[in-house]
Amino acid sequence: MFSFAGRRAKIAIRRMQKNKNPFIFSRGKTPAQKWMVRRKKREKWFRRCGLASILISLMFLGGLILSVIGNGYTAFTRVQILLPVEFSADIIDPEGTRTVAALSGADYRKLIRNSLAKLFPEAETRREQMDLHALISKGAYYKIRRMVMEDPSLIGQSHDLWLPAASNVDLFIKRHSMSSDAGLGNYKINAMQYAWLKQLIEGKRLRKVFNTTFFTSGDSQEPEQAGILSSITGSLLTILVCIFCAFPMGVATALYLEEFARENWFTDLIEININNLAAVPSIIYGLLGLSVYINIMGMPRSSALVGGLVLALLVLPVIVIATRNALRAVPPSIRYAALAMGATPVQVAVHHTFIYALPGIMTGFILSIARALGETSPLLMIGMVAFVTDVPRSLVDPSTTLPVQIYLWTNNPETGFVENTAAAIMVLLVVLVCINVLAGWVRRRFEIKW
Amino acid sequence: MKKSDFLIKSFLLISTVASILVTVLIILSVFSETMRFFSFVSPLEFFFGTQWSPQTAIRPDQAGSSGAFGAVPIFTGTVLITFVAMLVATPLGLLSAIYLSIYASPAFRNGFKPILEILAGVPTVIYGYFAVVAFSPLLRMLGETLDIPIASESALSAGIVMGIMITPFIMSLSEDVMSAVPKSLVYGSLAMGATPSETVWRVIVPAALPGIMGAVLLGISRGIGETMIVVMAAGLNANLTANPLEAVTTATVQIVTLLVGDHEFDSPKTLAAFALGFSLFFMTLLLNMAAQFIVKRYRERYV
Repeated sequence: MFSFAGRRAKIAIRRMQKNKNPFIFSRGKTPAQKWMVRRKKREKWFRRCGLASILISLMFLGGLILSVIGNGYTAFTRVQILLPVEFSADIIDPEGTRTVAALSGADYRKLIRNSLAKLFPEAETRREQMDLHALISKGAYYKIRRMVMEDPSLIGQSHDLWLPAASNVDLFIKRHSMSSDAGLGNYKINAMQYAWLKQLIEGKRLRKVFNTTFFTSGDSQEPEQAGILSSITGSLLTILVCIFCAFPMGVATALYLEEFARENWFTDLIEININNLAAVPSIIYGLLGLSVYINIMGMPRSSALVGGLVLALLVLPVIVIATRNALRAVPPSIRYAALAMGATPVQVAVHHTFIYALPGIMTGFILSIARALGETSPLLMIGMVAFVTDVPRSLVDPSTTLPVQIYLWTNNPETGFVENTAAAIMVLLVVLVCINVLAGWVRRRFEIKW
Repeated sequence: MKKSDFLIKSFLLISTVASILVTVLIILSVFSETMRFFSFVSPLEFFFGTQWSPQTAIRPDQAGSSGAFGAVPIFTGTVLITFVAMLVATPLGLLSAIYLSIYASPAFRNGFKPILEILAGVPTVIYGYFAVVAFSPLLRMLGETLDIPIASESALSAGIVMGIMITPFIMSLSEDVMSAVPKSLVYGSLAMGATPSETVWRVIVPAALPGIMGAVLLGISRGIGETMIVVMAAGLNANLTANPLEAVTTATVQIVTLLVGDHEFDSPKTLAAFALGFSLFFMTLLLNMAAQFIVKRYRERYV
C-alpha cells in the first residue's frame, strides 16, 4: 500500500489542494535540480578557466611588449652637449706635417678636455677633472678626428660642436627629471656633475636629438656609440644566401614529390625525412654547419656565407612543406586540361600547376624568411657571435645578425646596453610584423579559391 | 621526352636527393664527431656519470684537470626545465584551444587568435631577453617577499617562459585535432543534454586524445631542443637536482658554451658538444616519430 506519512505528506497534500505539483516536497530543490545547478556551475567555471588561460597568454605578450618598449623607448634619442672646440695645431699636429698618420694618431681627447676645462674652470683637482671628462662619451673624439681627416684646414680654427654625452649622462637626462637630485646614484652621477649638467641645460648647451648613430654605426664598446647597421647588413646578406639556396631547392623538391614521384618506399622515406627535418632543433643545424661547412669544406668562420647556408638547411623543410600544400590545393582539372591540350607532364607541372600554386608558395616562402630572420642558435655555433664594428662588405667577412646582436647586448653588463637591446628588439619585431603583414596581403590578394 | 623536359626533371630529382642528403649529412657528421668523442671518453661515463666539468687543461702538462664528462646532470636539467614548460604549456594551450573553438564568439576568435599566434612568431632570443630582464627579477622578488630563495637563473623562470613560447604551438595543434573529431559525436552529446564542458571532457577530449598526445610530444621535443631561452635564462653549471627553484643547465646550453669561442677540433671538450647534440637529435627524432605515428593512426580512425 502507498501511504502518505509525516511532514512531507502534509506538504504534499497542501500543495495538491493549491493545485500545485505535490512531488516537490521540500522548500529547496530536488536532487535533479541540485545536480543541474552543480553542472551549470561547473560549466561556468570551466568557461572562466578557458578565458583565464587566454588572458594569461595575452598578459605575457603584453608584459613582453611593455618591457621591451619601457626599456627601449629612450634609445631613439640621444643627448648631445655643445662644446667650443679649438682645433689647436699644437695638439693635433705640432710638427705641421699634415700627414694622414699624424692626423689619425693625434690626441683628440685632449681637445675635448681643454674645451671642457674652458667651460668649467672650477674643476681643479684631478678627481674633479675626471668627473668632468666623464660627462662626454669616450668615443666622442671619433667625430672630431673624422672632421679633421676630411678637412685638415680646420686646424687652427675654433668651432662649436655637438658631441655625444656619456651613456650614464644620456640615460640620466632622458629618464630623470632635472628638478630634483634624488636618485643620482642610480646613474652614477655625483652632485658636482649634476650641477654642471644644470649649467649646461641653462646655457642651452645640451640637447636631445634623434639617435642616428644607432642606425648608422656598428657595434661598439660604448653603448652610446653602438648601432645596428653592421648586424642589419649581416642579417640581409645571410638571408640573401639563404633564399638563393633554399628557395630553388625547396620548390624543386616539392614539385618533384608532388608531380612526378611514384608512391613507393623511397617517397615514403623522403616524406618522413622532411617532416622530421622540420622538427629537428635548430641548434643541430649549427653543429652540422660547424662540422661540414667550416671543418670539412674550410669555409670562413663567422661569415654570412656559412650563416646563410645553415639557415638554408633550416628553412628547406619549411619551404618544401608549404610548397607541397600549395601544389596540392591546385585542382586536378587544371592538370588534365593542360595534358589534353598536348602539354608534356613537365610543362604541366612548370607552366600550369606551379603558376597556379605560386601565391601559396610565396606566402610560405615569406613566412620562412621571417623564421630565418629570427633564428639565433645555429649562428652561435658557426661563430657569428663576433664583435663586429664594421659593416660587412662581402659574404666572407666576419659578420653578425640582428638576433645575435640582441643576444650579445643582453649579455653586456653595462646599463646603457639594456636600452640598445630593447631598441634592437623593437626594430626586429617591426620587421617581422611587416613580413607577416606582407605574407597575409599576398595570400588575400593573389590566392585563387577553387 | 623533350630535352628541356629531361633537364628540368633531372634538376627536380637532384634537388630532392640533395634534400635527403641533408639528413644523411647531419647524422654522419654529428655521429662521426660523437664517435671520436667516445674514443676519448667511454659512453658509460658519458651516459651514467654524474660529474660534468668539461674544462680540460689548457696546457698538456697541467695536472688534475682532465675534465669530467658525466652528462646525467645535464639531461636531468633539460628534463626539469622542459617539465616545467609543459606544466605551463599543456593546460594553457589546451584550455585556450577549447575556449577558442567552443565558447568564443566569432569576433573574439578572429580578434584574439592572431594575437596569440604572434607569440609563436616571436624569435626565441626575445623571450630570452624578457626572461633575463623582466621575468626572472620579478620571480625573485616574489620569492623574497614569500621568503622562498629563488636562484636568479632558476629552472622555474626559464621553464615558465619556455612554456609560454610553446603554448601557441600546443594551442594550434590541439585545435586542429579537436576540430577533426566528427561533428556527429559532438552534436549527439549536446542533443542528449550534456553541457558544452561535459561534451569537451567526455566526448571531444577522449576522441582527440591521441592527437593531443601527439601535440604534447611535439611540444616536449621543442622544449628539449630550445636553445636561446635557456642559454640566456638558465644556469651554466651542471647541477643534479629536481628542485625547480635552483639553477640547472641543459644540453643546448652546454653545446653553446662548449662551442662558442675559439677551439681546436680534437679536444674532448669540443667533441663533447657533438655527443650532446647527437643525443639531442636522437631524442627529438624519437619524440617526433612517435608523435607522427600517433597522429597518423588517429587520423585513420576517423577518416
